[in-house]
Amino acid sequence: MADEGGIYKRMATYDKRWVYVALFIVVLGPLINPIGMPIGISAQTRHYKAELDTLQEGDIVFSTWNMEFSGYMELKPGVLATHKMFIEKGVKLCIAFGHFEGVALPPEIFKQLKKWTDDYDYTEGEDYIIIGYVFPNEAAVAALAGDFHANVRVDWRGESIEGTFLDEIQNGGDFAMISDYTTGLATTNIIRHIVLEYDTPMVVNSIGVSVPGHLANLDAGLITALLASTRGGAELEFLIGSPGPGLKSMDAFTFGHYSLIIFIIIGNIGHYGWTRRSGARDRTGIR
Amino acid sequence: MNEFLEFAAVVMGIFISFCMYTTLYGKPNPLRSWAEFSYLGAGTGVSVVIGLTYIWNTAILGMQAGDWILIFSILFGLMMLFRVHPTYGYISRLPLAFTVGTGLALSLRTQIFTAFIRQINATIVKLWTNVPLEFVYRVTIAVSVITILTFFLYTMELSGPLFWTSRVGEYLMYIGFGAIFAQTFMGRLGLFVGYMESLTTPTWKTPYTLASALICLIAAILFDRTGLGEKLSAG
Amino acid sequence: MSSFFKSRSAQITVLIVSFLLVFIPYFIPWGPLDWLSGKLMTIAAVTNAFTIVIAVYSQFRRSGRFINERRKGWVYHIYLLALMAIMTLSGFIFGQHAGAYEWLLLAVVTPLSSVIYGILAFYMSSAGARAFRARSPHAALLLLAGFVVLMYQAPLTGAFFPGIEGAAVYLTDTFGMSVSRMFSISVSIGAIVLGVRMLTGKEVAFLGFGEGDE
Repeated sequence: MADEGGIYKRMATYDKRWVYVALFIVVLGPLINPIGMPIGISAQTRHYKAELDTLQEGDIVFSTWNMEFSGYMELKPGVLATHKMFIEKGVKLCIAFGHFEGVALPPEIFKQLKKWTDDYDYTEGEDYIIIGYVFPNEAAVAALAGDFHANVRVDWRGESIEGTFLDEIQNGGDFAMISDYTTGLATTNIIRHIVLEYDTPMVVNSIGVSVPGHLANLDAGLITALLASTRGGAELEFLIGSPGPGLKSMDAFTFGHYSLIIFIIIGNIGHYGWTRRSGARDRTGIR
Repeated sequence: MNEFLEFAAVVMGIFISFCMYTTLYGKPNPLRSWAEFSYLGAGTGVSVVIGLTYIWNTAILGMQAGDWILIFSILFGLMMLFRVHPTYGYISRLPLAFTVGTGLALSLRTQIFTAFIRQINATIVKLWTNVPLEFVYRVTIAVSVITILTFFLYTMELSGPLFWTSRVGEYLMYIGFGAIFAQTFMGRLGLFVGYMESLTTPTWKTPYTLASALICLIAAILFDRTGLGEKLSAG
Repeated sequence: MSSFFKSRSAQITVLIVSFLLVFIPYFIPWGPLDWLSGKLMTIAAVTNAFTIVIAVYSQFRRSGRFINERRKGWVYHIYLLALMAIMTLSGFIFGQHAGAYEWLLLAVVTPLSSVIYGILAFYMSSAGARAFRARSPHAALLLLAGFVVLMYQAPLTGAFFPGIEGAAVYLTDTFGMSVSRMFSISVSIGAIVLGVRMLTGKEVAFLGFGEGDE
């Protein structure tokens, strides 16, 4: 009697590996054959773009890449779209990493931005300087915020930064803006030791996991704008008229979300149709 | 790096990724073990290089520029290494006490503003607004924060008004968790979708991606069926 | 000399002095003290960076045990140590932008880093499928809120049901944000309490002192 349940039993106890296979298919399929579904633009992304639009040519922006390479996979659309805006505006960039994997990011990112850097003659050393991994811990952030040149003397290749546009930077307050791309590494420390101390405006492009925390910071006025995950990056690509990896991913994003909803619905139907009726103990461990 | 080496790195990267994805099959196999130990070994090597480069750039170059006080950073750092010595481990207490004291000062002097005062300020002060929709938002936030705090902070048995605010907070917290779960899933899916996008762009990568996926899946099944997976894996 | 390191009160004094030298200048700016505070932060930053060496030593010890005792998978540990050595030596000899270091970074580290975190999407999907049940009013509320926000996050939904944005944004910007704010406030209270306990000498385990040590 306890074994009867037919389709409800199957819906409650199927092998979880079918979930994995389904997720692979619904994600890879639309990426190989894009469909081009419509996308809405949120007020949050419009506000993020409006903040970036306040920058002027020659402003020095502290671009802090607080992400591992995995985080870059999620933040890629926002990173590329934001940096395209920086290049078009002629903003100077000081790029720092918050994770040791950051050293792999510049070749990857600037390869994707090659058309912009060529068109606008945007060169390393003149328009952007990569100072490398300078945020190993909170003390490093605080020290750099207080006295930039005492803590940063060379760029990521070991060449001196003396005589570059970074001569204008004495402390964290001398940046026109902080543009942070984060999986949660040094961001809180930057907010504490640069934003709080010097009132430097800060815009954040955050992974989905950290969005609720950054919403609280946005509401408290600690950050001025927030771009949320891949979807936010895709919306920004649309707003600046430069389709990229974000918009390409949105079909897969849609199907991925719908697949989770379907799995939850199937699981609940199975739960109410079999587990509760049969009086069997709930089993969440599927073989 | 020349073109061939770059191509080889990309193809190797795709293959080793799917070796790691065989974790999802649920049974041990040597491909997964190879991928895990590759990441551990190479990742640790990278962190050593980057960490020591940071020490060189900050401390050594700093001393060369005349900042001799930074000699203490090298001294303390070397003393810190005694942490693992069975006899002289106590030598690491001084740099530990120093770094913990400094770290405490850095976090306490700012955390009280960013995580406490500014958050409470934002909850209460913004309540007074003329815009109806914004007022609804602000009231919801204020009621939620106060009731959820009541539920979370009071770990003793409650009665009276505190009991009811705590119960309301409990339910509101679950609504919040539902929203947070959805945003967390969006983040994780974004990581996966973003990586799959990079494995299919440009399009020449797609056949290598599909082939690697197929090869690794078949290998995982074969290792499982023949019993070699358990024998040849690391654990 | 060793009595200084072994003395609990001496180490707590060091803790308090270093705390005050960094804490006070934040509220009472004074040139020389600001300078010293900045240097102390740099010294602390570099000192903390040395802990990577301890991590590598621990890994060597662990792998060494596996290899010596020929435990299951010992061959993989030889491979791990060899790769670590190649990566480290290559990075220092040929630099970070050339040679085996750069190749291994692109071929091994970055792809596997992406996979390790991306795999969580699968675990979340299977957890959602198996464990997300509306068994109680709490779970039903959680499920409903999650459902609305998940539907909104799929870009296609907004094209057909524009009203969902209002509902989802309301849920995330109020309830979701309130939970985060609550965590933030609670954690900061906990951190302050822990900090005060450390400064008053009540928490000394991190220095390697036991309960009765003096």
